[in-house]
Amino acid sequence: MDAATLAQSVLNGLVSGGIYILVALGLTLVLSIMGIVNLAHGELYMLGAYGVYYLCTIAGLNFFLSLLISTLLVGGLGIVLERFFFRPFRGQLERALIIAMGLILLLQNAVLVTAGGVPKASQSPFSGVLNISGVIIPYERLVTILVGLALVSGLFLLIQRTKIGQAMVAVSQDIDAAALQGINIDRISSAAMFLGCALAAVAGGLVGAMFSVAPLMGGFALMKGIAVIILGGLGSIPGAVIGGLIIGLIDGIVPPLLTTHMASMIGFGVIILVLLFRPQGIMGHE
Amino acid sequence: MSRGKLVKPLSYSALIILLFLVPLFITGPYWLHILILVGMNIILASSLRLIATSGQLSLGHGGMMAVGAYTSALLVMKLGLSSWAALPAAGVAAGIIALLIGFPFVRLKGIYFAMVTIFMAEMIMLTAEQWRSLTGGSSGIINIPRPDPIVIPGLLNMDFASKVDFYYLMLVLMLVTLLILYAIERSRIGLTWLSIQQAEPLSESIGVNTARFKVLAFCIGCFFAGIAGAFYSQYISVINPHAFGFFFAIYVVVYMIVGGMKRFAGPILGAFLLTMLPEVASPLRQYQPFVFAGVLMAVIFFLPGGLVSLPQQLKKLIKERLGHA
Amino acid sequence: MLEIRGLTKYFGGLAAVSELDLSINQGEMVGLIGPNGAGKTTAFNLITGFLRPTRGRITFDGKDITGQKPHSIAEKGIVRTFQVTSLFPDFTVLQNILAACHLKPKVGFWEATLHTSSSHKKEEYILGRALEITQFVGLDGAKDMSIATLPHGHKRILGIAIALAAKPKLLLLDEPLSGMNAEEVADAMTLIDRIWQGGTTILLIEHNMRAAMSLCQRITVLNFGKKIAEGSPEEIRENKEVIQAYLGAGEHAA
Repeated sequence: MDAATLAQSVLNGLVSGGIYILVALGLTLVLSIMGIVNLAHGELYMLGAYGVYYLCTIAGLNFFLSLLISTLLVGGLGIVLERFFFRPFRGQLERALIIAMGLILLLQNAVLVTAGGVPKASQSPFSGVLNISGVIIPYERLVTILVGLALVSGLFLLIQRTKIGQAMVAVSQDIDAAALQGINIDRISSAAMFLGCALAAVAGGLVGAMFSVAPLMGGFALMKGIAVIILGGLGSIPGAVIGGLIIGLIDGIVPPLLTTHMASMIGFGVIILVLLFRPQGIMGHE
Repeated sequence: MSRGKLVKPLSYSALIILLFLVPLFITGPYWLHILILVGMNIILASSLRLIATSGQLSLGHGGMMAVGAYTSALLVMKLGLSSWAALPAAGVAAGIIALLIGFPFVRLKGIYFAMVTIFMAEMIMLTAEQWRSLTGGSSGIINIPRPDPIVIPGLLNMDFASKVDFYYLMLVLMLVTLLILYAIERSRIGLTWLSIQQAEPLSESIGVNTARFKVLAFCIGCFFAGIAGAFYSQYISVINPHAFGFFFAIYVVVYMIVGGMKRFAGPILGAFLLTMLPEVASPLRQYQPFVFAGVLMAVIFFLPGGLVSLPQQLKKLIKERLGHA
Repeated sequence: MLEIRGLTKYFGGLAAVSELDLSINQGEMVGLIGPNGAGKTTAFNLITGFLRPTRGRITFDGKDITGQKPHSIAEKGIVRTFQVTSLFPDFTVLQNILAACHLKPKVGFWEATLHTSSSHKKEEYILGRALEITQFVGLDGAKDMSIATLPHGHKRILGIAIALAAKPKLLLLDEPLSGMNAEEVADAMTLIDRIWQGGTTILLIEHNMRAAMSLCQRITVLNFGKKIAEGSPEEIRENKEVIQAYLGAGEHAA
């Protein structure tokens, strides 16, 4: 593999990694604060993609504006879902699982019924590429990496510098102690769900713009998200970043050398190896 | 024996006889097929529940079924084994995989263990996709032979060319599975599992090797999933990695939880009703999943004990209403 | 019977238990007291395998049990109760004790699953034992009650009954009297005394000073993870360091 191809693969890996990180962050936020695995996370990613598709490709709005609107809408949907579907089952793994399953069916089929099952290719919002000594960097991929970077940094700042971020940390560590300190658990759950779904929507919007949208596209994102948070540690934000980068880079570098399947297998193999020595994941606790 | 004690065994015997007589009334291959699927789902949901009695939730039952399906298909097609030997062998294969995974990860709690099982099922799927020489890769294996015929001269001649023969095979497998699951659950082993699920440190303090018991539950549950998989391969005769994916495993969990986790009959009821529901609602076509989702949510919101607790809840409701009257 | 040498446990930089030496002879009832946070429950956790020691050795009946798993230590004869009431919440009182009769006799997997006559005999024996224990601790009136409706004092007694079901040679009681009213305390003290009279060696953590003094022949006092005194109840009562420890703890606790 020559240097240019390697660089290309690394770039692709970073793009994938960025997407995986965004999805995983959302999943891990909801997990650590609400104690449940939102299996419907992939569907919110899918809705974000469709949102951007309709606003940008169909209605012709500016890409970033479409992304923003779509993200806010999906985030808002997340708040509604938290209030009516997840709040009653906070901390109850089994029942929240079934609710999430029901939501998956509802959301997937709502899209299937309205938009149809055929994947729709989107017009790339950014044409043109950057050419650095033989390495081709399409602008849209660059945008993905930059948006990903911006959001991850933004999240870190939010967690560390704002009151609500600190409250989230408190709830994720000990929900009862946090409640005793006067933290409004319901509000924090809403915020976590909003953020989590928004992150998924951004990821979906970016992927949809780069490739295509389909009602069943969420399953792939969910699987990658779960793999990343198991590798990085359930509930750990830095873990999601590290895990996402590792899996993303594997998915970028391995396929040109071997096959896409091998990439997934190597990824899973790495995870299993890590779990054997550290069952809680790279940065997980207990 | 007092009359009260006779009622239960009699009604169960009557039910079983009725089940054997079903093909006399239902002859259409479509509904026979549905009933066969019901039986398979009952085996899957009930064996999942066995694992749950020890406090563990497995989301990887699909993967275990895949192990069983592929093992049986390969043993019959590549090694020429009789399908009747391949059936239990498939279960054992699934049990061994369960042991390999259970052993290192049994210490993980609730949600962590569940995630690892999702993951383990994905690995199995990927291995099946990748190991093309063995498993046929993404396209899977086709032309899996039917079960070897059962011939008892003068009495029985089952060549499995028709669905009726498969119905009876599934019925027998299901009844035997349920019998075994029930026997284990009602024994001291089952009691120990329940004690682990309720208070694991307490259990440890009185001498229970909780890790070993949890792995045991996991292996037994996966064994039966493997058997279901073997049956599936011999019945459908085509298998590929995508048939047993993550969503399939979630459906099994749905049957168990919506049916009711606390009672033995829960998964049976859940598997039956929820397998039938899409068929009964099929006139609604693309709106059918909404009905299904609606039923799921309704049960979770209003019947915490699952469908099997409906009679109890109704009784309570009526009592309360009458009390106020 | 139980020999502890140099037992130490660090959590991060903090020593919860530090160089503890303790010996318990067969047939004794020894008390372990000390202000809150002195490391008494940590010591229990270390002895029974719920925590691994950073350093030190624990020997029981001549065998080294340091760092073993809780269930194998229980098998060897050391059973503990929990400071925070730990019961099987979905079982009745009797079922709790039945479940706790796991160890003796051991019912094998195949005989249990196949419901052989030998397993039936064992279950009959277990039922008999469970009923005996229920009577012995005074709960046979409540034996079919669910845990939720049980008063606190009965719950603590049930905790002891569960431990008894495991046929301990050495019984570790962690604050059995906590949360009990005077009447319950008196009944519980009689019960503990009867258990001891029956030949069970007991190591007792108790905050109720009067109870500890009257039940135990020997008392060890811990403070900040270290043993600061050991002796008969009278000696301990007069010991200046012990009094200091409790007074000092009282000041800081405010």
